[in-house]
Order: sequence, then structure tokens, then C-alpha cells
Amino acid sequence: MSIQFKTIKELKKMLQSKEISNKEMLEDTFSLIEDNKHLNAFITLNKEASLKKAENLDNNPSELPLAGIPIAQKDLFCTKDLRTTCGSNMLSNFIPPYSATVIENLEKAGCISVGKTNMDEFAMGSSTETSFFGNTENPWGQGLVPGGSSGGSASAVAAGIVPAASGTDTGGSIRQPASLCGITGLKPTYGRISRWGMIAFASSLDQAGPMARTAEDCALMLNEMCSHDSKDTTSLDENIPDFTKNLNSSIRGIKIGLVKEFDLSKLDSDVVKVFEESKKHYESLGAEFVEISLPNITLSVPTYYVVAPAECSSNLSRFDGVKFGRRCENPKDLEDLYVRSRSEGFGDEVKRRILIGSYVLSAGFYDAYYKKAQQVRRLIKNDFVAAFEKVDVIMSPTTRGTAFKAGSMGNDPIQMYLEDLFTIPANLAGLPAMSVPNGIVNNKPLGMQLIGNFLEESKILQVAHSYQTSTDWHLKTPNGEIS
Amino acid sequence: MTWQTVIGLEIHVQLSTKSKLFSGASTGFGAEPNTHVDLIDMGLPGVLPVANKDAFFKAIRFGLATNAEINQVSTFDRKNYFYPDLPKGYQITQMAMPIVGKGTIKIFANGEEKIINITRAHLEEDAGKSVHDLFEGETGIDLNRAGTPLLEIVSEPEIANAKEAIAYFKAIRQIVTFLDICDGVMAEGSMRCDVNVSMKKTDDLELGTRAEIKNINSFKFIERAIAFEIDRQVKILESGGSVAQETRLYDSVKNETRSMRSKEEANDYRYFPDPDLLPVVITDKELEDIRANLPELPEQKEKRYISEIKLEGSEARIIASSKTMANMFEEACLKTDDSKLVAKWLVGEVSALLNKDNIEIDESKLTANNFASLIKRISDKTISGKIAKSVLEEVWESGNDVDEIIKDKGLVQIQDESLLENIAKKIIEDNPDQVNAYKGGKDRLFGFFVGQVMKETQGKANPQSVNEILKKLLD
Amino acid sequence: MDKKTVRTIAHLSRLTFEEKNEEKITNDLNNIIKFVDQLNDVDTADIEPLTSPLEKTAKTRSDNVNAENRKEVFLNNAPSSNEDYILVPRVVE
Repeated sequence: MSIQFKTIKELKKMLQSKEISNKEMLEDTFSLIEDNKHLNAFITLNKEASLKKAENLDNNPSELPLAGIPIAQKDLFCTKDLRTTCGSNMLSNFIPPYSATVIENLEKAGCISVGKTNMDEFAMGSSTETSFFGNTENPWGQGLVPGGSSGGSASAVAAGIVPAASGTDTGGSIRQPASLCGITGLKPTYGRISRWGMIAFASSLDQAGPMARTAEDCALMLNEMCSHDSKDTTSLDENIPDFTKNLNSSIRGIKIGLVKEFDLSKLDSDVVKVFEESKKHYESLGAEFVEISLPNITLSVPTYYVVAPAECSSNLSRFDGVKFGRRCENPKDLEDLYVRSRSEGFGDEVKRRILIGSYVLSAGFYDAYYKKAQQVRRLIKNDFVAAFEKVDVIMSPTTRGTAFKAGSMGNDPIQMYLEDLFTIPANLAGLPAMSVPNGIVNNKPLGMQLIGNFLEESKILQVAHSYQTSTDWHLKTPNGEIS
Repeated sequence: MTWQTVIGLEIHVQLSTKSKLFSGASTGFGAEPNTHVDLIDMGLPGVLPVANKDAFFKAIRFGLATNAEINQVSTFDRKNYFYPDLPKGYQITQMAMPIVGKGTIKIFANGEEKIINITRAHLEEDAGKSVHDLFEGETGIDLNRAGTPLLEIVSEPEIANAKEAIAYFKAIRQIVTFLDICDGVMAEGSMRCDVNVSMKKTDDLELGTRAEIKNINSFKFIERAIAFEIDRQVKILESGGSVAQETRLYDSVKNETRSMRSKEEANDYRYFPDPDLLPVVITDKELEDIRANLPELPEQKEKRYISEIKLEGSEARIIASSKTMANMFEEACLKTDDSKLVAKWLVGEVSALLNKDNIEIDESKLTANNFASLIKRISDKTISGKIAKSVLEEVWESGNDVDEIIKDKGLVQIQDESLLENIAKKIIEDNPDQVNAYKGGKDRLFGFFVGQVMKETQGKANPQSVNEILKKLLD
Repeated sequence: MDKKTVRTIAHLSRLTFEEKNEEKITNDLNNIIKFVDQLNDVDTADIEPLTSPLEKTAKTRSDNVNAENRKEVFLNNAPSSNEDYILVPRVVE
């Protein structure tokens, strides 16, 4: 029986009932990877180690929560002794001597990391078109982007190659590709998952998270990914609940906020229709919609495009060709080494953001841009705090539309930046948010976004799960429905 | 035209924590290159800093000892620039909210006491080392030092000349060594100094443009660099030119300062709060604990030695001003009753030996225990002061135990009065002429008789007893 | 942002680009800056800047030495090194 398009829950059952051995499951996974090579979802495969691990499990069965489950890992996480590139030429030969905490957590829970997935270079992008290793394709249509920056992970899950993958989200990089690929993706509260070993883009915004076929699987993954890590001082020390516990609780009476300032009339009518249908469905489940105002939310994108580049311009300074990564050939002096290694190692979008970042931090501009942006950021956060006194969760479309054709965003970076207008606010405020498949337009999927209050992943998962137990958008696959 | 020199010093003090400011690598000096480097110090992708609390505690000790404001909430900022021994491409420092604010320090220079105001003292991480001369056409990078905690102490531009600059530097060194926050070993780079020099005319209200001379780590070089710089600036100003605001290096071989290369040109450090590090909070209780356990400073020691131990002012000052000597003094005093004798010998004989060998006490073979034994044997008259001197010299060379030396060399002082009397009587008998001469008025011959008794007893006779006995027999 | 500013910023960031791309890059950067200029329309007087979404203070560590010696790994990872040092072209101070 094929493992393609199965959830973690289903695969676990297959293994437990011995319908399939661990080794067979991994062999099938690698066959699927091979058959779907055209998607270019993976940069590096971990075949030998994975098969060996699977074989060991067949000989020594394990009760661990993710035992034997094949998972794809975004190539932004350091994996010990396995190449980690961040989708960049700069790190195309980098073999980390250590693993990220989140990778260790997942592997300690028994999963098998089958490979590293493609991504926008250094997580900067919304289409996985800026990777040094080529574009990733959306399984829903040839030449369509899967979204970004976690495009490889989204594509691999959407194509049914793996049941789940790790992603990272700084401005929407889990949720947006989840929406464009028709899968479920969650960004937890800032600090839930340790950033140790997660190659930094924008430190105060970055967060790892699960991408899977269902909210339930996201909860399963989240249980293992979260931890308090003393190696990351921004790691939360809060109690980590069992995120699967309240999934089935009723959402009757739950208040769902609709953001007044998200003017949906500007969106494509098909997209609006999908969203309205979802609202109706939630009303039928007993939820109540409340209009809320987040007055500063329209400034989220410009705020983000000051803060994120500023932090990244500093975080990427360590890529200098001196201690690791690529160095240019025959540098004639130190300056030449720096300038050529970095200019050859980084792609255009990365360079653009570094330049913007350096500019907004530079003397004379710091107050007008960086400080200003951080002040507006606080206003945005305050808006959410006020809103959550009135509602339990906030709902919006995840993206403005469906997957677009690769190369169609043209030469205007700002067009690409506006892709993230619904997702960015949750990163600025540090709130948990997820995307849930809720429709198909022109045979391309769409997702809706649920934003929760600080530490309330369980609540948004519950709201998502109740939708998924009464609809089947999340079950749709690029080649037809599965049961 | 009278020119006034205006000097400000930024002193970088390496804090003596065991591990680094943001990682658990060792701060030990002199290790093989690149062996004290953690993932964090290497600046590998994905690593994160975690602040060392002890570095804060040590910084606070400095703040308390200089009556400074302590900022119980302090934050870290990033200072961005490129240099091969700066692995992350930025240094983590404290710009906006340093741990220690304004304080004061007393210096003695040119025969006068002066108070210098300290603007602030903040924590930051040290960079690695670039080794330029080992390899042809290449520079080697050693990151052992990268991440070591530094306390950067910034003075107000209130220092008026080189002597004051050195006095200030010495005063800081004394404080940090006495507080046990830095080992003060200049040769190992434990303290480095950036000197800011500008000139102004006496009646100018504003300060002149300053030049910064970086990374000087010896008193002699500070003095010379300042002298050169004053000369250079005055020459420029008197010829109608203006001094450039720039960073300069002091070349000790050529005895000149010169402008550093374009590394410093147009360097905009783009400081911003480090998003990986949250604010560090020091609780009231922690602050009180540090205050209660603050090591004694020289001034306090000196006062205590004078008032409680009744030492002479000059002795007290000498002992109190050196941490190693003060330690030796206090330890030895615990083991013997005669503190004043301990002090006398420290300031006298021991200091003479230290000067001869040009070392500090803790580099000698003399231990507090052994020193105390020596003093005890003088007090209880086992040996005479003169013999004790030779014993000390023996200990200095060999490090052997005092009592063993006394035993092996049979140096025990002869106290037996009857024995001494017999010897004295014999000497008197054998030297009738001298006796007559002495009794006839040649008082100085008394020394002859003392000398003869000493000779007869190989110097071991108790000199006081000999004096008394001879007086009795001769007078 | 004029071309000179772009070149200064590029130097600070140790980046370079071909002359033929300079115009496009300058335009892109200017458009982005124009886009973020809308932040100036908001009144933020007396608002404390938000550096981290977490309203908490730092956990620190005690002064323990607990790092392993990874000299070999680091030197092997470096693009150029000898048995003791990472190497770069000679730096003249």
C-alpha cells in the first residue's frame, strides 16, 4: 500500500500493524523523492543514514512518538555532518559540526530526517525562486511557485513524499507556502521552539514550525519540536502543553475576529468567495464572528521591511569567506576576500536586503527608520493585545491569491513583499498563527489564516481541527482526492 | 600661546572569569591557538550567545569601588564592522544601557591628589588575535581570545598630562587587582588602553579635535605616545592646520604615532540592540551580596593596618598598595603573633629581595607559611635577626622549610646564659690588653668583645644576652 | 539615496556589483525606502521601541568552562588554514 499522501497518524498505524516495515517505508520515501525529482524540493538527501536508521528500528522497535516517520528538514537548520546550505552558494559546501535543537528534538522523538529541503536563499523570499539550487515547483501545476521561503518543505508535503516537514517563518515563510500548496502549516509563539542551530535571518522574528497535511499532525510535530533551551536565551520557559489534547473540543461560542483594516474587497472575487465560504462553515459550527480593529496593521509590511533587513544585515556579516563557507578564488588582499566572497556567495535579493538593512541602521537614519519601525511594531503588538480581549482567535486569508507563475513577479521587489501582508503581523507581535487549506480556485489551493493569542497554539489548532473534521479541503491532492 | 593638553583614557580590562562572556570556552592564557574556541566564539551559523553572570558581578564590584551608578537593568548592542578576528562581523557590547554609570577615582600625580570622573564602564567581548609575522604573505587568525569578557572603563577628558594618565592607569590597575576582577598582568594583555589626546588653548571653551591612539599596554609607551602626540598636534595647530579626528597606532620602535589604515575610514558601526540577548537584571539581593563581599581596597587596608595593627603609616602604605604583598602580610599575620615584625621584614628584607629579582611576591618561592615560621623563630629567639637574614636568603633560593634549614645548618641561637657567660669569661681572660684598654676608656672596644663571642659561637649567640653578659663582666 | 550613498552602504556591507547593475540597484533601493517612508506618517512620540516580542529578561549562565576543544574541526572547515591558524591574506595595519 502506498505511503504517498499519508499523514503521520496513518503511517504510524501502518508501521504498528506491520503492514509495512520501517525499511520499506523509507525505501518508498526515497522512490517518491526520485519520482518527483522535477519538483526540486530537496537540496541534499540523507539516504544511507536514513535507511540504516529504519533498519535498526525494524530490529529494535520503538515506542517513541515519531518512531520511523520520514520527515523532511528545511535546509536552514544545521544538521550535524549533513550539508546545510540555506539555499545559498555561500554555504554550498558547509557541513555543520552540530545539529539544531529542533532537529535533535525531532530525531529524539524517533523521526528519520530524509533530507534537506530547498528554500529561498537565507529565507528571504516568498516563492523559492531565489535559491542557488534552482526553483522548487508547486506540485499543483507546472511552473507554479510553491511559495517561500519554505517552498521545498511545502512542496514535499503537498506531493505526498513525506507526511510532514520542518519549516521556518519570519514573515510568513511557513504559512504562505502552506496556503499555496494546500497543506497545513503553523508558526508557534515566538520563543516556543529553540533557535539554536537555526541559521538566523531576523532574530526577533524567526521561528521554526511544522508543515503537515493536518492540524492534528502539526500538533504531533509541535509536541516534539518545542522545548525550553538554555542555549537560546529567547527560548520560552513556559509550560509546554500536549498540543493534541484539546483538538476535539467543541468550538461552539468561540469568537473569531475579522480585521476591519484587511480590506478584502481588493482581492480577487474567487479568493473572497473561498473566504466567505469558510466563514459560513465556521458559523455552522457555532463560532461567532466579531469585527475588530487593528489600526496600525497596514503598516506591518513597511515595518517588517525595516526590521528584518536590519537584523539580517548584521546576522549575515559572519558570512565573510574567512572561517567557513565559500571563499573567492585567489583573493589579492583582505578587502578583496570580503567583497568578492560575499558578492559571489549571495544572490540579488539577499544583497538588496543587506543594503537596506545597513542603510536603516546607519548613522543619521537610525532614528527615522529602525527606531521608528520598532516603535510602530509596539503599536501593532498593542493593537493585538487589545483585540484579544474581545476575541479568541483572528481569521483572515493567508495569501492574496493562489500560486503564481515563476518569474511573474517581475522586477519589482515590492510586489513580492506585499505577498506577505496577511502573515507579517503575527511575526511582528510574536503570536502563533497557522494556515489551513480552505478552497481551490482554478485547480490551485488556498489557505485561511488563524492567529492566536500569546501561547495559544492549542486554541488555533482546535479551531483548525474542527474545520478539518467537517471539511475535506486538506485531503485534496494535486491529482485528485484521497480517502 | 599656551596649549593645554586634554586626555581621556578608555581602558579595556580583561575580567578574570573562568569562561567567556557568551560561551563556556576557557579564558585561560597561553593555550595552543584555536583550542579555547566554542561554536559560539567561532560565530558559526545558528549559534546564540548566553551571558555569563559572573562577568556582571565583577563589573559591579568595579562600580561599587568607584562609587558609580549601577544599572540593575542593562542591555547589549551590536557594533558592526568587518575584521578577520571578529568572527561574527559584529562585536557584542553595551552602548545604550551599560552596567556601570558615572563614578570617580582618586589619583596621585605630580605630588597632588586629583579626582578623575569616570563616564561609564561597560561589558563587551574581546576579539581574537591576528598574527601577522609568522607566515609569508598571510595573516593567521587565533580565536582563543575571542569572546573573553572585557570591562571598558571610559574616563572623562579630565587628564591633563602623561603623568596623570599613568597615575590614572595605575590606579585603575590597583583597583581591579584588589577587587579580584582582573589579574593585571600587562604582558598578557590583561589591560589595554586607548588614549584620546586633543589640544586646546587655555581660554578656549570648547575642546579641540581629538585623535585616538589605540591599544597601548605599557606605562612607558603611554608616556611616550602622549608626548609624541602632543608635539605632533601642536605643530599642526601652530602652523594653522587642523587635527584630523582619527585612530592612530603607536609604533614603539620608531616612537611615533601614525594613522591607521582605511579600516577605520568612514566606519559607521550601525549600533542596534542585540535581538538575541534580552535585558539582564541584577536583583537588589544580588547587589547587596556583592557589596557585602567586596574585597578590601588599598585605602581601606592602609587605614586598617594603621588603626588596628598599629603599623607605621609608611609601612602600611607600602604593604597595602600591592595586592600580592598585602595577601602575604595578612596570611602571615594569621600564623604568628608579631604582626609588626612581619611588616618590618616585608617592607625591609623581603622587598629588597623582590627588587633585586624584579618579581612580585607570588612569583617567589616564599610562602606565607614559611614566612610566618621565620618570623616566629625570630620572635621566640630561636634565631637572631642576623641569622634570620641568611635563612631568608636560603629560603628565597631553595624554597626549603625554615625549621629544616635552621636544624640542618645548626643555626639555633645559643640562649644558654651560663654557656655564654663561660665563653665571655674565656674571651676576657684571653684578651687582657683589650680589657685594659676598654676599662681605660676605649668604649668602642666593646664591639670587639661582642664580635669575639659571636665568632666563637659562629654567630649563633643571642646578641642581646651577649651584650648583657659582657656589660656585667666588664663594667 | 544617491549613487554615492549606495556605494558607501555597499562598502560598509562589503558588497559590490557590476557598474551596469548600479542603476537598477539604486532604483530598487530607493523604491523600497520610499515604500517604508510611510512609517513617518504615524505618531510614535513616547512609544518605547520593541526589540523582542518577549516581555521578559535574560537567563544568564554561571561561570563554568564546558566547551570542547574543536580545533581540528574548525580548521578543517576553514577555506584556508594550517595546523594552528585560520589564514587570510596578509593584513597590514
